[in-house]
Amino acid sequence: MRKSDRYRFWIVLIGLVLLHFSVRTRLGDDRIAPDFLLLALLMYTIRAAPGPSAAAGFVVGLLRDALTPASFGSAALAHTLVGYFSSWAKAVFFAENLFVNGCILFGGTWVRNLVVVLASGELKGSPLAWELLVWSPLQSLTTAAVGVVVLWTLGRWVSVRMGDA
Amino acid sequence: MTIGADRYGSRAGTLVFLGCVALSVAAMSVPDTWREPISRAIRQTILAPLLALQEETETLRSSRARLAAVTAERDSAILAAAFLPELRAENARLRGLLGLGSRLSVAYVPAEVLHEAGPTDPLTFLVSAGRKQGVRPLDTVVSPEGLVGVVASVDEQTSVVATWAHPEFRASAMAVDGSVYGIVAPRGSEGPGIWLLELQGVPYRNQVPDSTLIVSSGLGGVIPRGIPLGTVIGPGAEVEHWERTYLVRPAVHPASVTHVMILTGAPRSGASLKDLFQAEGKSP
Repeated sequence: MRKSDRYRFWIVLIGLVLLHFSVRTRLGDDRIAPDFLLLALLMYTIRAAPGPSAAAGFVVGLLRDALTPASFGSAALAHTLVGYFSSWAKAVFFAENLFVNGCILFGGTWVRNLVVVLASGELKGSPLAWELLVWSPLQSLTTAAVGVVVLWTLGRWVSVRMGDA
Repeated sequence: MTIGADRYGSRAGTLVFLGCVALSVAAMSVPDTWREPISRAIRQTILAPLLALQEETETLRSSRARLAAVTAERDSAILAAAFLPELRAENARLRGLLGLGSRLSVAYVPAEVLHEAGPTDPLTFLVSAGRKQGVRPLDTVVSPEGLVGVVASVDEQTSVVATWAHPEFRASAMAVDGSVYGIVAPRGSEGPGIWLLELQGVPYRNQVPDSTLIVSSGLGGVIPRGIPLGTVIGPGAEVEHWERTYLVRPAVHPASVTHVMILTGAPRSGASLKDLFQAEGKSP
């Protein structure tokens, strides 16, 4: 493995973070627009060990909590759980398969939204059902689709094993 | 190159995970008074460049939207400004009509001219008053500047006005001082002369100076006496060397009229209307 590949991986992650704060607001409804920040986290976690993945999830979640102080802590918890278990999921499935990675991205996004909604306790009844059964799946789908495109086009750049790097 | 599941299950990783979960739960339990300062500190440090980027993006997007809105408003303003002179002229005409209406001693019906986009529109046009408003054929149609024409036919709600430019229009006329009498008719039915009048039948021995105001003489009983028809601008043709014709610039152009007054009653016997129009003799 070339040393430059590792830098390329981080460039991809930084690019996703920048996309989140620049392009995302132009991609339609905020409830279904792809979550580039979570995508960057998931791309990190499926390449890294669970411990660092949980820590990275916590940091990303804390940053998101800073943007929505009303439910402070819920995003940190959700991203910690998603980061840790997505890293484990990658180890369990152990597949360099685009479809498997897409499923992890889809599930990770939906579980993140589920934990945030339940932990914050801000949605109940019909809005909760709409969020979990309509908007979250749609956002998970768009996020997974973007992730698959990134993995497909920049697969070599993001195939760095963090444990080996 | 890959990491086995056994490497994933390290104790340190589990402790980090549990620690992060504990911190998250602790963050959820933080009092409201602490949340905002912590959030603000994160926003003003780590997130500051990213939020600045987001703000720039939003500004750029809204700027494009504002540019489109400003462009549309500018176009609307230009369009409105294009009609401003016409609106001012119409306003002046309406004021003139109001002033004339208050001075007229004869019954009249105000009407709006229903112009049609056609080359013959200045010859005849519709007005928004008809039999129901008391309009009758051959009623005189005037504007504050002078004679427009006569009513040719009347419907229930509208009327057709034959203007002075109509080839069959004739009016007995005289110089405003009564020194010369004649017949006023359109100069021609085609070419630029169609927008001029001719004062015909003036005896050869009579001279009519330029700028002489020509008004209706009231002979024939159709058009009341004293309504301005136009101003002499020069001699026309001589016929058989015993009569003269003079070119007359009309007092009002039919195409510029938007509102008219239809005189539905006869003036007092012998009364002349010229003084009423002279006050408004200048075109708006």
